[in-house]
Amino acid sequence: MTTFLQLVVSGLSVGSGYALVGIGLVLVFRTTNALNFAQGTYAVLAGLTTASLVHHMPTPVAALLSILLVTAVGLAMGFATLSRGGETAPLISLIVTLGLSLVARAVELLVFGDAPRTFEAISAHAWDLRGVLVQPQYVLIFGVTVLVTAALSLLLRRTVLGNALVACSDSHRAARIIGLDTRTLGAVAFSLAALLGAVAGVLATPIVPVTYDSDISIAVNGFAAAAFGGLVSIPLTLAGGLVLGIAENLVVGYVNPQYELAIALVIMLVLIGWRSRREILAT
Amino acid sequence: MSLTVGAGERVALIGPNGAGKTSLLSAVAGVVAPAGGHVRIDGRDMTHARSGAIVRSGVSLLPEGRQVFPSLTAEANLLLGAYGRVFRREIVSGTLAYLARRGEIRERLERIYDLMPKLAALRARPAGHTSGGEQQMIAIGRALMAEPRLLLVDELSLGLAPVIVQSLSAFLRTLNEDEGVAILLVEQNARLAFDLCPRAYVLEAGHCHLSGSSAELRDDPRVRGAYLGGMEAARG
Repeated sequence: MTTFLQLVVSGLSVGSGYALVGIGLVLVFRTTNALNFAQGTYAVLAGLTTASLVHHMPTPVAALLSILLVTAVGLAMGFATLSRGGETAPLISLIVTLGLSLVARAVELLVFGDAPRTFEAISAHAWDLRGVLVQPQYVLIFGVTVLVTAALSLLLRRTVLGNALVACSDSHRAARIIGLDTRTLGAVAFSLAALLGAVAGVLATPIVPVTYDSDISIAVNGFAAAAFGGLVSIPLTLAGGLVLGIAENLVVGYVNPQYELAIALVIMLVLIGWRSRREILAT
Repeated sequence: MSLTVGAGERVALIGPNGAGKTSLLSAVAGVVAPAGGHVRIDGRDMTHARSGAIVRSGVSLLPEGRQVFPSLTAEANLLLGAYGRVFRREIVSGTLAYLARRGEIRERLERIYDLMPKLAALRARPAGHTSGGEQQMIAIGRALMAEPRLLLVDELSLGLAPVIVQSLSAFLRTLNEDEGVAILLVEQNARLAFDLCPRAYVLEAGHCHLSGSSAELRDDPRVRGAYLGGMEAARG
């Protein structure tokens, strides 16, 4: 029982990272119809940058600087991906963002090298709850994920900028008719997605060291989390990320660590298959 | 063809399906790029302007089929109309301009609620959960939040019950007479268009077929045959 709880607790922390990445995908997809394959890159870039900067400055400063840098990179990627109208065919966006993520990999390899990078967690001391070890970093990543998701929901519901993003996801044409620039708003969605990915990367790197090529597995896990919410629901993506993190950890702990990514792929395929079957039956 | 709307005027544009009425309005509003010709607003050339610049110059489009934002509340729909007016591509300055004018925008919102009391009752409801007539009012309110001097109305009556069309048409007349908002009404329902607008154009296959005062056009045999006759016959 203790092993099980231990796996669940660490699964929740890893799953929080997947949830943040997945929510970034959902935000971009809803606002622009683009599938952002570079979503894993933001986490990797933020993790690698923070791991380098911590040698020169306090960790929180390094983390904030990295998150800002990656948010700016996301904004630039948004403008590079989106056409004039702010809407891009999913296939084209997939190819462009895949290309951008490969470029980012090459740059990361040149700048940071190919060794895994990490930095110290906020505290090395773990709490012992009846044999289950809870690291403060686990609590931090889970708490920040819940807070960030709540803040994003408030932004979308309560602010005029957030409402404008929702308007784009409701109807691009109507958004243009009332004078909103859908390309700019799409780029804002990209930068918010980059911000979420960067937060995930910075918080998870002390637990799971990153290398320049970790982005694909992060993106796949993010897609799997987003598949729970059909690529449109933020709360379901949050839940999906947590479920995925726990499921993977249980398989790693009880079955075989090599199956970690396979779990994400299987869950994603099952969910997509189930959804498309339901849609076919509905029409 | 050439079409002009003067300040404070009410002008109708009628024609059959596929004549190019919606394309014309979309091109004027900057939603699609015009294939040719010129758009001038207050004498300034706005042919290739983006929709945002058109809205800022005081011309708003009330689109065919209403096109409200279904997942946002009626009030959020209205407020976005004001945001669209100040929106800039450098999004920060546009958003700051919106926040700086928030008091003014709220006053405008209250004025629109005074003009359309039904909207005030709907303010917290998602626009997707309202009836067609209510959505048309939300769309009108959203356009009015941008403080237009000219409202381009695309198919006011489409899919709405006659009694609702009557009240919307009366509202547009009041809006024009009391607030001085000019109206260009595109309609398939020629009778409604002639009743609301003193002047009209008849469009056929992308060309201006006829133009003149509604009173004259109403009695023109070509118009009677093509646009009014069908309805007379239907009424027996």
